[in-house]
Amino acid sequence: MNALPATLSPTDLVSRVNGDVERSILRARNGIRILRGTHRPKLGATPKDVVWKRGKAELWRYKGGRVRYGPPVVIVHSLVSRSYILDLRPGNSMVEYLVDAGLDVFMLDWGVPDELDADNDLERYVDWYLPRALAAVRRHTGCDDVTLAGYCLGGVMAALFAAGHDDAPVRNLVLMATPVDFSEMGAMVAMLREGRLDPGDLIDDTGNVPADVLYSGFYMLAPTTEIAQNATLLENLWNDEFVEGFQAMAAWSRDHVPFPGAAFRQVVELLIRENLLMTGSVPLGDRVVRLADARANVLNAMAERDNVVPPPAVEPAMQLVGDPARRHELRLPGGHVTFGTGKSAFKHTMPQLTRWIVEHSDERRDPQERDRLAALGATGIADGL
Amino acid sequence: MSANQPLWLRAVLRAERAVGTRVESAVRTDTYFDVVSRLNRLHGQVNRAAEDLSRRWLHLFNLPAGSDVRRMREQLSRIERRLNLLADEVTEVVP
Repeated sequence: MNALPATLSPTDLVSRVNGDVERSILRARNGIRILRGTHRPKLGATPKDVVWKRGKAELWRYKGGRVRYGPPVVIVHSLVSRSYILDLRPGNSMVEYLVDAGLDVFMLDWGVPDELDADNDLERYVDWYLPRALAAVRRHTGCDDVTLAGYCLGGVMAALFAAGHDDAPVRNLVLMATPVDFSEMGAMVAMLREGRLDPGDLIDDTGNVPADVLYSGFYMLAPTTEIAQNATLLENLWNDEFVEGFQAMAAWSRDHVPFPGAAFRQVVELLIRENLLMTGSVPLGDRVVRLADARANVLNAMAERDNVVPPPAVEPAMQLVGDPARRHELRLPGGHVTFGTGKSAFKHTMPQLTRWIVEHSDERRDPQERDRLAALGATGIADGL
Repeated sequence: MSANQPLWLRAVLRAERAVGTRVESAVRTDTYFDVVSRLNRLHGQVNRAAEDLSRRWLHLFNLPAGSDVRRMREQLSRIERRLNLLADEVTEVVP
């Protein structure tokens, strides 16, 4: 409610009162909806097809209008959160934005690991799932290469894949909030690094790190922010759009997935304790992967107010991944989720990321236009003869 | 902080930050790390002790304990994982 100005005509006063009454009714309605748990926003709603599946991993291809740029964009999601953060709500989705920009978008979603996935190590993701998923992308699109975009830990896997495979069909590598220097990460990582917590302390009977342990780790980064968020919700409870956005974000931030135990142990040993990404070389399988060997154009995108993967943890990728002449940096205002949602995402993240991808892609002609040009070309050749 | 925000909300946000920054620094201190790791280990020890005691009693009457079931589930999962790997290898050879 805003403060009343010093002078207010009776008409203004009536309309002001009407407005306040209307908002109060909407607040009550939305409050009841939240308490009842009804009217939950539809998450990850961009239409898609499952084009490949192995174990719990699925490759989704999003449906959209005409594809105007190639190669296709393949998003590799993190192992600890749900991929719908990048396709949160219609009208507020990174995936939808990329599709609308004329890109052919795929998402590699890891599903919800259970005890059958406890042995999945980094090699399983980098050397087994990723090559097969990308082969499926190439089969479905007919393209020779892809733009590989990794979010958070998905970026680490994407970088290891691009650098660890001589034949990696990666033209562009987009690292979004991808941790490289694990000594700059939050409290839970520090506890693991210093040995105050052992991986075994966090792994449960299923052989995985339970989702609620991961939630607690993220929650402890800023334990009191929920108070501010709920107060802001209370003030904006009349605003359907705000309420829907709030519910979507609240649902995602509590919706973690278990971290496969074998991969977790490796992350702790190699990436957290030894901080090997900072040396530029990581042992994987029977070889050592050198990050500098990635032959793609590299975009290292970071969010300046990210408290999950803070910029100092992300910045070193600029010195380590790929060819120095083909590295690009993108600093974005916003937090860790600016890659998926929020005002800042629409204003800065999505346009800038899309522009970079498009600039490093080829334009594809409309099939009719292509046929017409082909016909012209054929006539030209015939005329020449 | 927006100027359009009502006074109460501004006060809450300010109070949250005042408390929040202190809490956030507190959860990054060595003391906090020590307390959490000790509690974590204590929790593990208590659980193991309770499990050990209940298992002995149940075994006394020839009944399976939760830990026996867990071990069996782990063995089954290992077998299933192995089967899945074999299935994957077969799929590679015969698509």
